[in-house]
Amino acid sequence: MIVAEQKPVEEIRQVIAPYERILLLGCGTCMTVCGAGGEHEVSFLHSALRVAQARGSDGTHSFLECTVKRQCDFEFLDMLVDKVNETDAILSLGCGIGVQVIAERFPDIPVLPGVNTSFMGMTKESGVWDERCAACGDCRLAETAGICPITRCTKGILNGPCAGTKNGKCEANKDMDCAWILIYKHLERLQQLEKMRRYYPPRNFRVIPRPRRIVNKADVDLGEDNG
Amino acid sequence: MNVVNKSYSESRLARSPDHSLVPPCQSACPLHMEISEYIDLVAQGKIMEALQVIRTGNPFPSICAYVCTHPCEDACRRSQVDKPIAIRALKRFAVEFGGDRMIEAEAETKHEEKVAIVGSGPAGLACAYYLRKLGYQVTIFEAHPELGGMLRVGIPQYRLPREVVDTEIKRLTRMGVEIRTNTRVVSLDLLFELGYKAIFITIGAHQSLRMGIEGEESPGVIDGATFLREVNLGLKPSLGERVAVVGGGNVAMDAARAAVRLGSSKVSVLYRRSRAEMPASTDEIEQALEEGVETMFLVAPTKMKRGNGHLSVTCVRMELGEPDTGGRRRPVPIEDSEFNMEFDTLIIAIGQAPQISDDFRLRLGKGSTIQVDPITLTTNRAGVFAGGDAVTGPATVTEALASGRQAAFRIDDYLQHTYPLVNKEAEKTLSGELLPKTIEMIRKIERVEPPSLALEARAKDFDTVELVYGWEEAINAARRCLRCGMGAEILFQDKCATCLTCLRVCPYHVPYLDDGGTIQIPPDQCQACGICVAECPAKAIVLRKPYDRRHVDEELEHALKSAAESKSKPLIVGFCCQYGLFGTGALASLWREGKAGIWIVPVLCVAKLEEGHVLRAFEMGAEGVFIGGCGEQCSRENTAFWVLQRVEKVRKVLFQIGLEPERLQTFNLRTTEGDTTKTLDDFTEQIGGLCLASVMKQEVKS
Repeated sequence: MIVAEQKPVEEIRQVIAPYERILLLGCGTCMTVCGAGGEHEVSFLHSALRVAQARGSDGTHSFLECTVKRQCDFEFLDMLVDKVNETDAILSLGCGIGVQVIAERFPDIPVLPGVNTSFMGMTKESGVWDERCAACGDCRLAETAGICPITRCTKGILNGPCAGTKNGKCEANKDMDCAWILIYKHLERLQQLEKMRRYYPPRNFRVIPRPRRIVNKADVDLGEDNG
Repeated sequence: MNVVNKSYSESRLARSPDHSLVPPCQSACPLHMEISEYIDLVAQGKIMEALQVIRTGNPFPSICAYVCTHPCEDACRRSQVDKPIAIRALKRFAVEFGGDRMIEAEAETKHEEKVAIVGSGPAGLACAYYLRKLGYQVTIFEAHPELGGMLRVGIPQYRLPREVVDTEIKRLTRMGVEIRTNTRVVSLDLLFELGYKAIFITIGAHQSLRMGIEGEESPGVIDGATFLREVNLGLKPSLGERVAVVGGGNVAMDAARAAVRLGSSKVSVLYRRSRAEMPASTDEIEQALEEGVETMFLVAPTKMKRGNGHLSVTCVRMELGEPDTGGRRRPVPIEDSEFNMEFDTLIIAIGQAPQISDDFRLRLGKGSTIQVDPITLTTNRAGVFAGGDAVTGPATVTEALASGRQAAFRIDDYLQHTYPLVNKEAEKTLSGELLPKTIEMIRKIERVEPPSLALEARAKDFDTVELVYGWEEAINAARRCLRCGMGAEILFQDKCATCLTCLRVCPYHVPYLDDGGTIQIPPDQCQACGICVAECPAKAIVLRKPYDRRHVDEELEHALKSAAESKSKPLIVGFCCQYGLFGTGALASLWREGKAGIWIVPVLCVAKLEEGHVLRAFEMGAEGVFIGGCGEQCSRENTAFWVLQRVEKVRKVLFQIGLEPERLQTFNLRTTEGDTTKTLDDFTEQIGGLCLASVMKQEVKS
């Protein structure tokens, strides 16, 4: 899941300042699960903006609330056409992907981000989310007992642990587990400690051209007659 | 203009929550009363509303409040946690404090047809009540000089004061029911000839069964029904010092307790089975024991003889054998175990049967009862209906009331030539065991019984034994309700992102993920605390009870509307627990809008309060907001934790938009130390200071 955090209300107020009619658009998938931009948060932000408006003297906005199942697909956005025609800007509480898909779908309307998209992660407990994947495009988790050193080690080193590990914790943060100690313990449990002896050459980040694209369909030539 | 457009799915999938789940108390009640509804209203201190709910389902709540055997309490699932809710005592509280005596039932004649009711016991009275409400002309025929049937001649006064019966009968008379006392009906044909279009036979089961043993006719032997009738009609039969009552039912208990009140020093109950098989209600057995009644189990008289001024009774000891058709173990005499005892009076209370005149030409069934169709209550004769003990054999008052009500509606069907709709709604009774992990988390709250008359006072006369709860006791007793079937429901399944928030926040471990990966909130486990509803990031969950969902919004808008017209400053909105407020009487001390501009929004538990409600108050001009919980008194779990979570979230936003976070505070309305009023005064003063500071800041700026 993509994890994000809602922007402070003051920042949101600044970006919406030039516009009068604003569509507050939530996302019903990742942003709902990570509590940054589901229907509940859209409603909360709406209430907060209205209090700010009632209490301050800066401008008068009118707000429209809506939440779609996913902002990252055009089809879910199609149903917004009527609403969008009546707004001056869309404040998206979707992740960075959602914001861009909206911008592409509705090129005549400014789209403003309402959340800071942070990472890909998991729910640790109610109200706590942890990063787990860096989307490096070259997964090595089979060698590291299912624990990613790139995201979970502060330094992201491939041949750990470093000298900064102490009592299983990281020198950068005493409360944070050292990823390489975790990897060691897991490998020990799986009786695969020999994997610790291997050397992993540095990764070549230059081989990943951005933006990436995955094409999972065959190029089929049906000939001119069948076109 | 602010337009709130709800959500993408609400318009497509608008549907209402599932209300078909009937709590076990309600389905156990012969009258099917909305028990959880009125218990909740009592818990909120809304006694008049509670009484209104009670009256819609029960023609004579004051009578039930005294004598109902409360099968609802036996079905109550709270007994899996500690003890059942004291439903009958709470009904009594609502009836006494809600002013049931003052309520007038109104009725007007809408139909020409006249209906005769033969017998004026609870079934007859209930039938008259509903038929009159339906607009029929009703005449009650009663053989005795006074109305009430068993209510008057069967149930002793210490259990049901006669004024209660009188009040209900007066109400019936004022509704226009015609009453003919001292009138024994000998022929049904005559009634039809007199112009009655339908007849309801409800003549009860007054004939005592006999034991069929030697010496049963001896002087000093009396049957239970006759004895109670004499006592209840104000005669004081002389019993002597030593009295034995044979039988184990409620009539036997009533007879024994009446004997104690008539001054007999030694009253023994002889029962041929053991205590576990006694059909009498537990309360009555316990109260009888308290009053000094002795019990002898596994004993049955075999013969008796009068001599030397007393009664010599030969008894045999019994043991329990195989279960009989009713499921109770059959008593079997033990050989050579005879023994003799001496009494002054022996009361036989081993059962009663109806006595139906042959002239009625009605088909009778087992135990001389009238055979009827169980749905329509029709007998073998056209236009003749029957109900109450005359059909069922001795049963409870509430069952008789239910039978009378059923008869009224079926007679209406008959006279209007319509057919009864059977099972028109498929109702599901919510039942099932609470899971151990849920039981563990439910706060244990002791069941407090209403006070009862001191023992010394009981033996002297026939005063009512059970007294009424006080306000605080009643409210606390009502708050114990687990609200079966009123819990949370995922109403918008397509909105649900299966984020598992509900599963994580539920204090009672109720939501679970099924094998298909869908989150389920089993309705038989949910405790309706409302935490998941307020926390759901997709707003997909609602509480099944519509009032719970609307309540906060409505109360808030109401308060804000009134506040807008008020000039007192600073405006402070307080969201206060409705249960705690009324329960402690704190409302009056907090409601001081004249002085400080404090507006109270009662909420049904502060756990149901959402951040949006608090922000709404600020939007509408509140200078300060406080949330008042009931503290330790709360019957739910984790309430304070979630309230504080939401408060922190709102405070953060307040700070970001330039309002001081201190403008939002939480108080415990029921602190043992410290004065709530004082705390609130300090808060008001603080808010006043903040307002002044912000005004000055504005002036400096300009």
